[in-house]
Amino acid sequence: MNRLLTASVLALATALPAQAETFRWSATTDPQTMDPHAVSSAPVLGFLNNVYEGLVRRGRDMAIEPALAESWEPLPDGAGWRFTLRQGVTFHDGAAFNADDVLFSYERASSEDSDVASWFAVVSGVEVVDEYTVDILTTSPQPIFPDSIANWMMMDSDWAAANGAERPARDTENFATRNVNGTAAFMLQSRQPDLETVLVPFDGWWGEVEHNVTEAIFTPIQNSATAVAALLAGDVDLIDPVPVQDADRVNASDGVHVLSGIEARVIMLGYGHDHETLLSGEDNIFADVRVRQAVGHAINVPAILQAIMGGNAEEASQLVSPAMRGFSEANAARPAYDQDLARSLIAEAGAEGATFNLSCPNDRYLNDEAVCQAVVGMLAQVGLNAQLETMPVSNYWPELRADNYDMYLLGWSPGTFDAEHPLRFLVHTNGERLGTWNFGGYSNPRIDEMLPLIQSEIDPDARQAMLDEAAAIVQQDAVYNTMYVQPLLWGVADGIELTQRPDNFFILRWVRMGLPVE
Amino acid sequence: MLSFILKRIAQSILVLLVVGLVAFAMFRFVGDPVDTMLGQERTVQDIERLREVLGLNKPFFLQYWDFLVRAVQGDFGISYRQGRPVAEIIIERLPATLELALVSGLIALGMGIVLGIFTAIRRDGFWANFIMSASLIGVSLPTFLIGVLLIYAFGVGLEVRIPFTDITFNTGGMPIFGRGDTRHIFGWVGGWNSGLATWDGLQSIVLPAITLGLYQMTLIMRLVRAEMLEVLRADYIRFARARGLSDRAINFRHALKNTMVPVITVTGLQLGSIIAFAIITETVFQWPGVGLLFINAIQFVDIPVMAAYLMLISVMFVGINLIVDLLYVAIDPRLRVDGKTT
Repeated sequence: MNRLLTASVLALATALPAQAETFRWSATTDPQTMDPHAVSSAPVLGFLNNVYEGLVRRGRDMAIEPALAESWEPLPDGAGWRFTLRQGVTFHDGAAFNADDVLFSYERASSEDSDVASWFAVVSGVEVVDEYTVDILTTSPQPIFPDSIANWMMMDSDWAAANGAERPARDTENFATRNVNGTAAFMLQSRQPDLETVLVPFDGWWGEVEHNVTEAIFTPIQNSATAVAALLAGDVDLIDPVPVQDADRVNASDGVHVLSGIEARVIMLGYGHDHETLLSGEDNIFADVRVRQAVGHAINVPAILQAIMGGNAEEASQLVSPAMRGFSEANAARPAYDQDLARSLIAEAGAEGATFNLSCPNDRYLNDEAVCQAVVGMLAQVGLNAQLETMPVSNYWPELRADNYDMYLLGWSPGTFDAEHPLRFLVHTNGERLGTWNFGGYSNPRIDEMLPLIQSEIDPDARQAMLDEAAAIVQQDAVYNTMYVQPLLWGVADGIELTQRPDNFFILRWVRMGLPVE
Repeated sequence: MLSFILKRIAQSILVLLVVGLVAFAMFRFVGDPVDTMLGQERTVQDIERLREVLGLNKPFFLQYWDFLVRAVQGDFGISYRQGRPVAEIIIERLPATLELALVSGLIALGMGIVLGIFTAIRRDGFWANFIMSASLIGVSLPTFLIGVLLIYAFGVGLEVRIPFTDITFNTGGMPIFGRGDTRHIFGWVGGWNSGLATWDGLQSIVLPAITLGLYQMTLIMRLVRAEMLEVLRADYIRFARARGLSDRAINFRHALKNTMVPVITVTGLQLGSIIAFAIITETVFQWPGVGLLFINAIQFVDIPVMAAYLMLISVMFVGINLIVDLLYVAIDPRLRVDGKTT
């Protein structure tokens, strides 16, 4: 980076008043609502992070930092957390932010109409201590609670009441669906669902402005070829994602480049543990741990990454990536790629030549279908005949719920960026609230016993010890065969500085435009 | 005559009911909307509650009946994805599709007739044969490929050097996605939002309209050419030549008039397919019409939007066919006796 030049550009940028810097970006889907509590999906929460704020937020490296709360501390005896709020914060409409808004946002986000209510499953109540102090009481000690609420966004109680939006609207719409009144660095200027959403800087923002954007326009572009063309033509400054097969071409073109990183999403293979038989009526070979281990040894992950991901991803040894809290260093190695070992394990289990179904989505994860085809080929080399069945994701989850599979592909991105999250949803015995994505019906008393302990353990070392044990169980028992962490590929115009976060959120307040091109 | 019209209308309504039934039966294979509507941390109760709210637990025929009863009253339900009334969304999106279909229809008709006449009159010429061969390419390339090629040629652009000079120019610069600036015309706010009223919008429609109209253009061109060759062989054209009329008068006054009758019929029937085919073009150019809306609805399993779109398209096709039939009957008395010819 040429410091001198940057400095002079900065000087120019500050010297020239109101130099219009319009930033345009596009993604494949439009956020379906502007309501921060109505839909818990990455496109929605990621977009709304630019207009709404939570008590805490994540920095460039995903670390939790103060936002609308200046500080927080655990209450005695693990009764909950006390948050001290930042003073002098205003909403976009000028209303002051205080403890009542936190209480209101809690009631709104934990209501039955909310899609994020599960974040508050451990919360027993919220007490307003004074105008700038709030106690959030929990049913048991919750050491990572502050980390889990970075996407819980604060809404003004008066604004919501005045516009009849006290509750999120999920299957209808209300005022908050298309209007925003947050506290964040950008305000919503106009919103045309599916067409165009325009943001402008909020002059009254409490934070220190780092960006130099005067207007930001978001347009969804569904077709990836069109999006790449728009980037090459200079019609947009950022596209997310760049298809893997186009990455080299984008890098070779003038004026644009690919920004690649590692997402939080781990891609893995799952099994019907509790199935009596395969779909073909034969005995379920995956009930035998040796067959599951054999699959782990049979899959050549580096080859998949080289051939299908353009070398842009890294192997995954466990249910979370190394960037996550609670990653188990003790279990950081994938089962070795060893076809002979795989064959002998299969022979021991008496599963040579078995034919079974492998179900895969074809529009959910990056090149998901191609990865599954590669897996089929690699399993064939060790004597397992996988019959690949691919389908759109809208059909995929109902099929898995109905147990119409023998082996399946799954990707998991932990909402809390903590290793406890996949244990809760993927490994714990399937039930009403826990193990809701544990399609295969895996059940292990030790995991079920440890999960509540992990959730309430205050001491980081003791907590990590339990997470290590759980990771070892998942790996040795081959509950899932984790393959790789999905890559992130953004196409960016040269001369723009921005940050790509592992949760694939695009944060507008970190954008600087008009920098000298090296 | 009146009984014939009433019978045809009754048949049309029956067709619509069957289309609706088939469409509804197919939605069961599109997937489950609750998965796309609920986040990762949903519980089993969340799924059940939402199914109850959306009426997905009711038997299939009851769901269809509910849809019909509401649709007759003009209520197509609420979009699962946007949470807005479907009728409102479709009215918002329809102008984009209709304008695209209109412009590409005009391009197809205009170019098709001109090229058709040219290739008929100069049937042995080099250019006529060249155009005929090129039109084969136009017919055989899939729409999305034509769209992507146009985007790269005229949107992203290529550096082209003028031969024997050092001057280069870039062929790009056309808008690649969206409609550009739009204005409300006819004074309706929230009504007809037009892209044809601004320079930016006019530029934006060029590439998608060509993409959508190319196939229709070659069809019309070949039709015009065949008809024209047929007519030019007719006796009255020979007489006209014998009377010493100029080529121009023969070609454009006498022959063209008789060529146009079947062309107009086919064009009318093709209008429906242009609107239906617009789905692919709209996806490639991110053109915010009902076709793109439908594709999004399929991905999200947005059943109310899918149902409304399919009904809209079938009403359109059935309506066009009905009008064409009635016009034929009005023109040709032989068709009036129960469709039998004498």
